[in-house]
Amino acid sequence: MNEQHIASAYDRDLDAIQAMIIKMGGLVEAAIIDGTKSLETRDVELAEKVRAGDKVIDDLEERINEEAARTIALRAPVSKDLRIILSVLKLAASLERVGDYAKNIAKRTSVLAEMRPITGSDATLRRMGREVQMMLKDTLDAFIHRDAKLAEDVLMRDQDVDQMYNALFREFLTHMMEDPRNITACMHLHFIAKNVERMGDLVTNMAEQVVYLTTGSMPEENRPKGDRTSYISSSKPE
Amino acid sequence: MNDMRLIERAVDMNDIKISARNVQVYYGDTHAIKDVDVDIADKTVTAFIGPSGCGKSTFLRTLNRMNDTIASCRVEGKILIDQEDIYDPRVDPVQLRAKVGMVFQKPNPFPKSIYDNVAYGPKIHGLARSKADLDEIVEKALRRGAIWDEVKDRLQSPGTGLSGGQQQRLCIARAVATEPEVLLMDEPCSALDPIATAQVEELIDELRQSYSVVIVTHSMQQAARVSQKTAFFHLGNMVEYDETGKIFTNPEDPRTESYISGRIG
Amino acid sequence: MTDASADRSADGHSRAKTSLLQLDVRTKKRNAAEARFKAYGVVAIAIGLFFLIALLTAIVSNGTRAFTQTFVTMDVTLDAQKLDPDGTGDPEVISKTTTFGYGGIIDAALEQTLAARGITTEIAVGDLDQMLSSGAAAEIRRAVLDDTSLVGQTVTFEVLASSRVDGYLKGRVTRESLARDRNLSPEHLDVVDALQEAGLVERRFNWAFITGSDASESRPEQAGIGVSMIGSFFMMLVVLVLSLPIGVATSIYLEEFAPQNRITDFIEVNISNLAAVPSIVFGILGLAIFIQVAHLPQSAPLVGGLVLTLMTLPTIIISTRASLKSVPPSIRDAALGVGASKMQSIFHHVLPLAMPGILTGTILGLAQALGETAPLLLIGMVGFIASNYPDGIAEGFLSPNSAMPAQIYEWAKRADPAYYERAWGGIIILLLFLMTMNIIAILLRRRFERRW
Repeated sequence: MNEQHIASAYDRDLDAIQAMIIKMGGLVEAAIIDGTKSLETRDVELAEKVRAGDKVIDDLEERINEEAARTIALRAPVSKDLRIILSVLKLAASLERVGDYAKNIAKRTSVLAEMRPITGSDATLRRMGREVQMMLKDTLDAFIHRDAKLAEDVLMRDQDVDQMYNALFREFLTHMMEDPRNITACMHLHFIAKNVERMGDLVTNMAEQVVYLTTGSMPEENRPKGDRTSYISSSKPE
Repeated sequence: MNDMRLIERAVDMNDIKISARNVQVYYGDTHAIKDVDVDIADKTVTAFIGPSGCGKSTFLRTLNRMNDTIASCRVEGKILIDQEDIYDPRVDPVQLRAKVGMVFQKPNPFPKSIYDNVAYGPKIHGLARSKADLDEIVEKALRRGAIWDEVKDRLQSPGTGLSGGQQQRLCIARAVATEPEVLLMDEPCSALDPIATAQVEELIDELRQSYSVVIVTHSMQQAARVSQKTAFFHLGNMVEYDETGKIFTNPEDPRTESYISGRIG
Repeated sequence: MTDASADRSADGHSRAKTSLLQLDVRTKKRNAAEARFKAYGVVAIAIGLFFLIALLTAIVSNGTRAFTQTFVTMDVTLDAQKLDPDGTGDPEVISKTTTFGYGGIIDAALEQTLAARGITTEIAVGDLDQMLSSGAAAEIRRAVLDDTSLVGQTVTFEVLASSRVDGYLKGRVTRESLARDRNLSPEHLDVVDALQEAGLVERRFNWAFITGSDASESRPEQAGIGVSMIGSFFMMLVVLVLSLPIGVATSIYLEEFAPQNRITDFIEVNISNLAAVPSIVFGILGLAIFIQVAHLPQSAPLVGGLVLTLMTLPTIIISTRASLKSVPPSIRDAALGVGASKMQSIFHHVLPLAMPGILTGTILGLAQALGETAPLLLIGMVGFIASNYPDGIAEGFLSPNSAMPAQIYEWAKRADPAYYERAWGGIIILLLFLMTMNIIAILLRRRFERRW
């Protein structure tokens, strides 16, 4: 924010909205961390906490929507201010969905805690979760500092998340073909992995929004998409 | 960045400063203001909006009895400021107007020096006991009017030599010099360019910490920017009166909805 | 949704294409009409200027002659034997000799002067003094009484020449015109010529015209406008002191305080009409009320001033109202908004802003009153000879006097062409007065002008 508006209340309104996004982002980050940790340690209580915490995130999104609508109605923002408000609305929506996925992971963790663990997948899942959480953190940082380069960097890292998901997908197939008793656990784990991959995509959307906010135009379309699971079949070797 | 803004905006905790009950205003046989009931809070900016000729300026002028100067105008009903009826026969309008200041649409500084402009009110009301007192009052008023820095070196130059925005801020300083409790503003920015308008609006936002400000404006956007509560007038009636954010995002009355979305004139 | 236009050209366009570089008929006619109108304006101005110049030329050429007068220089022996035989030096004794007695002294002086210069003439010694003003004796007598030590000495006096001699030097009087004149004969003119060559007769600037008093029919050379000026001055003082406050206060009341009803309208209409009433009607009013009912002294500047006040009031009221109306209502609103009462807002804000207009109206009203003659006719300030300066302020208001325009009228009536010339001179002085007042009006207005 280079210059102040003459009406200082306008600046305070915009500050307030952005503060709410940061707060929401922080809550979602915590949800991801706690969610993946609870999965790892099969900690049902932590999972429960994450599940309950999603309500706060949803409420925040609603408040952000109200405030943004109010600012648009009262201030008729233009140019940069308008992009800020529009970006905030989209960021809030994405964050809320990320929060929902985190809640979903927590829900499945409660179920998985009663089954025997599947070896090998934990480490990858943990790495995936951490990667997504770092991407979210960087996106939020890029938003605060209006750092387009950082946001573009985040766009690139989604590829890693997608590749990890590819690997997990094949691994789960293998486990399921080996021993049918693994199927239930693997199905749940697969959905968890899919959620994390979706979270990565959403965070990537958020990063694109930050680039739009900062530069005024969307980034070019050639970010690499690495999700090849649509093409995997059990018969043909990859 | 903090989100304390929402608390800052809450005004429901302020006292009622002006209370109007069943107010009717007639110009000769024309019934200009009909059945207006409104409570205006202290330390708040209240905006009156509405199409041309809807009576918002007329109602504003009843609050400091400026309508007395118009021979054919008749006011009925009660208007209480601090629980005292200002239309009581014992009330002297001149004394009332020291308590309820007014700023007009076109900046109208007296053709005297800047100092004399601001000092005139306190002088005739006997608020200063000595020249030093008067100097202090003038400086305080000019600071309140956010114009002290620009004019402190030329207090004796004529008030009419300032730019439009500065003149209006001078008029605001003149109005607050008599230590009023209520400030009435009749379309104060309509003669100003956008930057001057923004400066005056910022000033109004500061003033509401000390006064109850009532502003009539034909610009809805200005009401949206500057006020905490808004009253919508239409054909002499007060159609809706509520918190500004609610009026502009989700008004109750369909007439309000039509007006703010530009469907009626 | 366009109208079918009458001049549709063949290819369906709604107007025939015209070139901007060629003027069409309508434009040419319009331009011609404008040029004609401008020409009318220029011609009107030229005609106006022509008449103005003609008027000024006539005034100046006729009137400047009144400012010079012919004086005769001669040595007068103040014969002690005649004046103060006993050598007492007592003013009482000397004053016993009347102006008639000085006649002989003057004759002797003239004779001596001629003899000294070697001028011969056929005129009898006793008739020589017809060359001088008949007031010469009085002049010399006054000088002696002022300074009794002059008795017995020979003093050089400059005395006024008679008005015929003066007229001769100014070209008004010729030898032919004197043929039937009783006051002077052509032989006198020869003497005058000779004296003029000797340097003893010359025209000088005549201060007495400006400062002196009026004189009788027979002595135009002594007539001056000074006393009438004083009369005018006192009258103007009365007008100013009375009409300005009353007029301004009335205007303020009518404009700000009077209720808007039939009575107020009636008053306003009548005031406007009063401004157009012939001024002689005010004279009758003054005669009836001030002189017959109130028994104020007739012909006094006080009465004249009162009559002219009545005449000037409508002018001042109307111009003050226009000035008050021209003050923008935003100033009044601003004053009321700050908590000023109606009186305060009027006296502190509206009146200072209306000052330029009020002053202009007042001074123009005064200038108009200065030049009024008709009302003064009826209260007696005309057929009267203003011969003495008033002694003091009270005298100035109450003792009978004349006013400048009345004096000019009086002079123009008299038969002697010398008086006629003086009338023109009086007009010049009157015009100078008016010009001064107008310049004061402009200066005052500039000084009070404010921007709002």
